[in-house]
Amino acid sequence: MGVDILLTILTVVFALMVVFSKKTVVSAFALLMTLLCLAMIYFQLGTVFLSAVQVLVNAGAIAILFVFVMMLIDLEQFPNNRERNKIKLVISIFTILIIMGVLALIINNNIDTLTVINLSDNSMKALFEKLYNTYYLPFEMATVLLLAAIVACVVITNHRKDDDSDNEGADKGVHP
Amino acid sequence: MLESAIEILLKTIVILALPLGALPLIIHVERRGAAFMQKRLGPNRVGPFGLLQPLADVAKFMFKEEVHPTHVKPFFYVAAPLVALVVAILPLACIPIAAPFELFGRTIFPEVFRTDMGIFYAFAVSALGSYGILLAGWASNNKYSMLGALRACAQMVSYELSLSTSVVAMIFLYGTNDIHQMIGAQTGYWFGFLPKWGVFIQPVAAMLFLVGIFAESNRLPFDLAEGESEIVAGYHLEYSSMKFALFFMAEYIHMIALSALFIILFFGGYALLPGMSFLAEKSPILLVALQALSLITKIALMIWFFVWVRWTLPRFRYDQLMTLGWERLLPLGIANLIITVLFVYYRN
Repeated sequence: MGVDILLTILTVVFALMVVFSKKTVVSAFALLMTLLCLAMIYFQLGTVFLSAVQVLVNAGAIAILFVFVMMLIDLEQFPNNRERNKIKLVISIFTILIIMGVLALIINNNIDTLTVINLSDNSMKALFEKLYNTYYLPFEMATVLLLAAIVACVVITNHRKDDDSDNEGADKGVHP
Repeated sequence: MLESAIEILLKTIVILALPLGALPLIIHVERRGAAFMQKRLGPNRVGPFGLLQPLADVAKFMFKEEVHPTHVKPFFYVAAPLVALVVAILPLACIPIAAPFELFGRTIFPEVFRTDMGIFYAFAVSALGSYGILLAGWASNNKYSMLGALRACAQMVSYELSLSTSVVAMIFLYGTNDIHQMIGAQTGYWFGFLPKWGVFIQPVAAMLFLVGIFAESNRLPFDLAEGESEIVAGYHLEYSSMKFALFFMAEYIHMIALSALFIILFFGGYALLPGMSFLAEKSPILLVALQALSLITKIALMIWFFVWVRWTLPRFRYDQLMTLGWERLLPLGIANLIITVLFVYYRN
């Protein structure tokens, strides 16, 4: 029980650091720590597979790309990125309302219903049986969301390439 | 409760002591091997055959003045070597040095962390390996270090892909994630003499994995992380004395852990070496000892292979490295994976 509480507190502290840290690289590393703490919570719940996947995919591959990009770009050229403005305020209020709503749902309902599927020995098989039978629709929706994100990335980068006139000279072999 | 705590403590000590104790020996073999291949003598002054040279080096690292540059980011600068070492040690937790055996009426699994997801766990934690390097490069606040770290990190992330495809192919082939079951599938012989090792079923996956571990542990021909001739020493440029030694240890332990995983997947892990089985029938304790001996012998041969390759092949250029990783090895790995999956599907 003590370990659970410690892990939860750590996760929340690191998650807060992601948002409130002044240095971007520090918040990227805080994000990594949040993901690792989540993996430890999964482990504590007895799902070795899920925690291993969390470490492998989220902490090992995705967070490293975040850190990578943040180290490469010079964030000093975006001086306003930590300033408060009206849109941010509205978004923050909405976020707080949503979090409170979720908390209210959790407190009103019985917390025991929220415990994960009991995954014991053959955790991989049990997990995927649930995933591909009971929770098939949400799973597919998540994949469609990811696909939308990929398409958005392609569209954004393509758009940037059209505007880029620096390389025109290089294509023709002339100094710009 | 107390008994299992003692058991885990003992196992942790053994698993930590074996690689850490072997480190000086490995470094000695590396230096003498280099000398042997270059027709030199190598370190041979301190002790018999120069065997005490590593101890002298350790003493030197301990008593050297620790230079702490003023332009670094202090917290991350100190944290980076520790992160590198801890992450390198973690995969060792799930590597069994022998088959499960009975002692004092208890079944003992000779690995620290017993799980049926052993291979998964090992690759998950070794995926974190690039953070120590990245942190070091960034915290050093130095362009050479930063470049070295980014290069190393890009290399490790790229080669992890082809390495993972080969691991997934092997998981499909054995039909399990459990290391003991994987090794069980590799015990025995075909036609009475050829060991049932994974390398004979999947030579392509073995090759991919072998190239992958050279790239993951930043060894020649893939030591672009260090890049002595262009970026002086890469990510550990600003580190001296014991902090540098920690990076050094992390690299060698990473090498040992990846070699152990390679042997588990493709060379039968602790499965007895050919010719040992008649000895092992005498007593169960002897069997355990012989299994541990087999694993250690295989790892030692792998380490010698690392040294051999280091002084045989020159270093790749960076674009060659990326072309090899993304355009050759990754398609090959995916094709191999698809063929394996089809084979397993139609076999069942």
